[in-house]
Amino acid sequence: MKSTSFTDLIKKSPFGPIQAHMNVSKKSVEELIVFIQSVINLNWDDATRSRKVISNLENQADTLKAETRALLTKSLFLAVPREDILDLIKLADELPNTVKDISGLMIGRKMEIPAQIAPSFLLFAKEAAAISDAAAEAVDHIDELFQFSFGGNAAIKMQDLIEKLDSLENKNDQSEITLRAELFSIEKDLPPVNVMFLYDIINKIGELSDRAEQVGHRISLIASR
Amino acid sequence: MEVIALYGPYLLFSGVVFGFFMAWGIGANDVANAMGTSVGAKALTLGQAIIVACIFEFAGAYLAGGEVTSTIRKGIIDPELLRDSPDLLVFGMMASLLAAGTWLLIASFKGWPVSTTHSIVGAIVGFAAVGISADAVSWSKVSSIVSSWVVSPLMAGTISFLIFRSVQNLILNTEHPFDNAKKYVPGYMFLVGFVLSMVTLLKGLKHIGLDLTFQESFLYSIVIGLVITFIGNFFLRKVENTYQTRDGVVFDGVEKVFAVLMVFTACAMAFAHGSNDVANAVGPLAAIASVIESGGEVASKSTMPWWILLVGGIGIVAGLAMLGYRVIETVGKNITELTPSRGFAAELAAATTVVLASGTGLPISTTHTLVGAVLGVGLARGLSAIDLGVVGRIVISWVVTLPVGAGLSILFFFALKGIFA
Repeated sequence: MKSTSFTDLIKKSPFGPIQAHMNVSKKSVEELIVFIQSVINLNWDDATRSRKVISNLENQADTLKAETRALLTKSLFLAVPREDILDLIKLADELPNTVKDISGLMIGRKMEIPAQIAPSFLLFAKEAAAISDAAAEAVDHIDELFQFSFGGNAAIKMQDLIEKLDSLENKNDQSEITLRAELFSIEKDLPPVNVMFLYDIINKIGELSDRAEQVGHRISLIASR
Repeated sequence: MEVIALYGPYLLFSGVVFGFFMAWGIGANDVANAMGTSVGAKALTLGQAIIVACIFEFAGAYLAGGEVTSTIRKGIIDPELLRDSPDLLVFGMMASLLAAGTWLLIASFKGWPVSTTHSIVGAIVGFAAVGISADAVSWSKVSSIVSSWVVSPLMAGTISFLIFRSVQNLILNTEHPFDNAKKYVPGYMFLVGFVLSMVTLLKGLKHIGLDLTFQESFLYSIVIGLVITFIGNFFLRKVENTYQTRDGVVFDGVEKVFAVLMVFTACAMAFAHGSNDVANAVGPLAAIASVIESGGEVASKSTMPWWILLVGGIGIVAGLAMLGYRVIETVGKNITELTPSRGFAAELAAATTVVLASGTGLPISTTHTLVGAVLGVGLARGLSAIDLGVVGRIVISWVVTLPVGAGLSILFFFALKGIFA
């Protein structure tokens, strides 16, 4: 018989490490902006430093993911379906992973971003960061939602956040179209392999926004049950 | 007979010592579960919790502890059958106290979630069934006690579920939770005062010279409920809405309103605990005392000497003051997830269930009732994570406690019989 007291009945909320995880993801996406800025400026020293920060953040995120999963033992009865929480952490964990991929690819190939598309490129990435910020804000509100039993004002606030997230994502889609058009117009003057990888990076940043949006939607789903 | 005449005072004295020690143990360990919730929710400081516990544990034991004590004393075994051998009753009750005390000591050493109630009931049934005869046990009473152990957590769970649902609908899920909290919380305060005094008064307070009819009890209970609401309102008025954070978790001012309410449910919890659990210590003592004081007569009709409840009350308070505060602190630290809006629902449900059981003379486990109440809040999605594995371990521990308590008391019974007879 294991040592048991009545207090063991109530377990730590799994939301805590999820929020910490999302906070790390947010930081890593923000660092990506710093990284891209350095790449645009062709400052490879700074870029390498940023890349290290991103790599560290990704490690932290992995630890927090493991922590969350460890909290979710089978014997738990949760206010929110276990699968939803596991899905949420899986989705959220793709953010720092994608950031690490992007920075790794760019630094590995010493990719240069053509000056003609640099402003659009930076804008596109910044918008992706804004989306992940909004998603992190939504994750931060789980506590409040829970405190008010998923109803009332807290639920309305969450709906507003999700709407904001959607409109940010729409804007981001438009920026992606613009950026692609700009790259298309200059692609014949660039080495084809470089262009291929630029498109790949654009795809990956687009993915980043998508994932962040999905995190937000997963939370609204959790809230609406 | 000769044994009683010869060793009467010594037996009574050791009975008082054992009973006091049991009560002390209950105060040191058990009270923590009843009070820890309020400390964890930061509704009470540790010092305040000790004071509340001392006053209300004692009040509960003295005012409402009589019914359960008389069940332990003469409900489980049929005293009529022991008319010719009062010494056996004395030895048996002594053995039961020793057995339960030993088992609780081992269990708390190992950290097992063992109930005092289950230990003592198992012990009494054990010595009576094996040491005397299976007919000496009032099996119908025992089965109603055992079924109350299943029913009480279920009942507390249902009540806490309903209370928390009402909190969700009236307060939390509304546009202005803070304003609604201020509006409806006094209603819950009234409920606390009314339910507790109603059960206590109905059951009777003849021993302090208060004999009321049903209508009188009802009226007095309403008055007490209103007085409590009035006092509560006074404190509620001071609560202002703020947006505060604790351990990184955001809390609206709503929780502060519930924290005021939780002071009252904490009192109720202490009262309920005192009314039911003190009997585990003083019930056997009462049986011993009545035999010895009457000079060896097993008098089932004689009224209970009330100084015995006093021994229990003082024992609990002593245990609480000497060791209990440390356990309360530990329990409180481990239970921070239970915020006031949740904790109050669990406490009110558990206190109501326990007081009802006390009124009907059923010895139940306060801790298990509280477990049921917490589960009820969890089922209403009031707690983010509940470990159902713990429930399984608690069930196992109470199934194990019965035969162990019985076995130990049989051992002690024959040992005592061998020494004196």
